[in-house]
Amino acid sequence: MKGIGADEAYWQALSAGELKLPQCSACGKTHWPAVWRCGECGSWEHEWKSFEFSGTIFSWARTWHEFGAAKEFGLPYVSVVVEIDNANGRRLLGTIAGNAENIRIGDRVRGEVISVNIEDEVIPALRWHLDDKPSTATKFNSGATL
Amino acid sequence: MNRASQAKVAVAGVGLRQYKRGGATLPEQGILIRAIIDACEDAGFNPADVDGFVSYGDDKNEPVRLMPDLGTKELRWNSQVWGGGGGGIAAAFGQAAAAIISGQANAVIVFRALAQGNSGRMSAAVMRHHLNDHIMGAGLIAPAQICALRAQRMFEYHQVPHSVTEELVKASYYHGAKNPEASSFGKELDLEAYRTGRWVTEPFRLFDCSRENDGAGALLLVSTEQARDLKKPPITLLGVANGASQGWGDLIENDTDYASAGFKPVADRLWEQTGLQPKDIDVVQLYENFSAQGIASLIDHGFCTYENVAEFVKFENLIADGGKLPVNTSGGNFAQGFIHGIGTPIEAIRVLRGESANNVANAKTCLLAGGPGAPTVSSAIFSVDDR
Ligand SMILES: [Zn+2]
Repeated sequence: MKGIGADEAYWQALSAGELKLPQCSACGKTHWPAVWRCGECGSWEHEWKSFEFSGTIFSWARTWHEFGAAKEFGLPYVSVVVEIDNANGRRLLGTIAGNAENIRIGDRVRGEVISVNIEDEVIPALRWHLDDKPSTATKFNSGATL
Repeated sequence: MNRASQAKVAVAGVGLRQYKRGGATLPEQGILIRAIIDACEDAGFNPADVDGFVSYGDDKNEPVRLMPDLGTKELRWNSQVWGGGGGGIAAAFGQAAAAIISGQANAVIVFRALAQGNSGRMSAAVMRHHLNDHIMGAGLIAPAQICALRAQRMFEYHQVPHSVTEELVKASYYHGAKNPEASSFGKELDLEAYRTGRWVTEPFRLFDCSRENDGAGALLLVSTEQARDLKKPPITLLGVANGASQGWGDLIENDTDYASAGFKPVADRLWEQTGLQPKDIDVVQLYENFSAQGIASLIDHGFCTYENVAEFVKFENLIADGGKLPVNTSGGNFAQGFIHGIGTPIEAIRVLRGESANNVANAKTCLLAGGPGAPTVSSAIFSVDDR
């Protein structure tokens, strides 16, 4: 699995169906991307704090061209940047369930973990649902090879 | 103010070889050698005396391998700007200038070469530089998609009208149509085709995207003093800045000024360095990978704001000769051709020499706004020698 920075615990939590982001133990700042050292206060201590899979759409883009993304997404699909609730404005990426024709920045979403095949590896990923648009996506199987 | 006569480094020669994507007549390294020789001949400079090389965007042509063809006597400087995209293009001139001013090299070539047969698709290579499971798990594997996310924020949240991208693309094709070297020579933009082109990633349709070419470009830099003794009038490097400020970078879409192109701190430093302001710029070569990023770059550099962008970015303002701020006088990445942007600094030199297909009368300063939206970005100002 290829993450970015000190994000190993993020992937472990996601595989277990939980959303965790690192918070500096000294100054309380929620860091994302994950860091080893808090650039604000210099602390090396972080707690991985749990968050709800809920937030608002910060931006979105609907892809029609076949770029070679994971087959699970089909075409077209909508990629989103979601501002996570109560996380100092930190944003996570994902896709939206369905074609989401009326999606707008600021829409409320709730998320779930799905599994996606990327270059012969199964990874957990975030699938978001617009409030009032029910899901048909399959839940992430935490027994899958990660 | 840093006058051009005091600028220590100048561009003395340029060379550009462009082909259709997949259509290069020689392998990448061969085209590059040609472009470097073109630049040296343009300057009347012996290629064997070139002692430095700088590139950007993960170029694969290590300078030491060019030595046998160029007859290089001694290689004294070879470096590349970090980053996979076009964000390092102007910074490459900064490295060349650093080499010359510090006395570590005398004659430095800034280059970029790309042939699909050798390096594959550029867009794929740029993205490989940045891919991780966060973005791939969101179906994001192409630069167009990341730029689309930022563009959507600019259009929808900051309420920049969509019409401005059409004005920019139209101006690029207007110039390209008159440039015999351009891929769009003789073909102005078909507005209907622009407006109804197939979606790539919303909000981008086909003609909002630069399409790749094979080719190579090279620019020869020497001290301004030495350039004055060469064949062509020197075009000085008046200022150059690159980098990122806190809250911008490789942050999996957590950048603070998200809909921007990342230039604000770089542009601030450039204005401070040169004592110039946006109103002092006569012509702009604007690296536009995607239409919206070109607009964001103009805003970041201070030419207009979210509020007045529609008054400023108008076709009649953007064209040579007579527009308030002619942009992409060769046709730019959209309409001239896209060899990872190396055509844009070359056009900066040509337009200031009066050698462009779309000259701007009495143009003295040209801004090169580098690849927008990259984790690090860079810009430079070139000027005619005012000795
Ligand atoms: Zn801290």
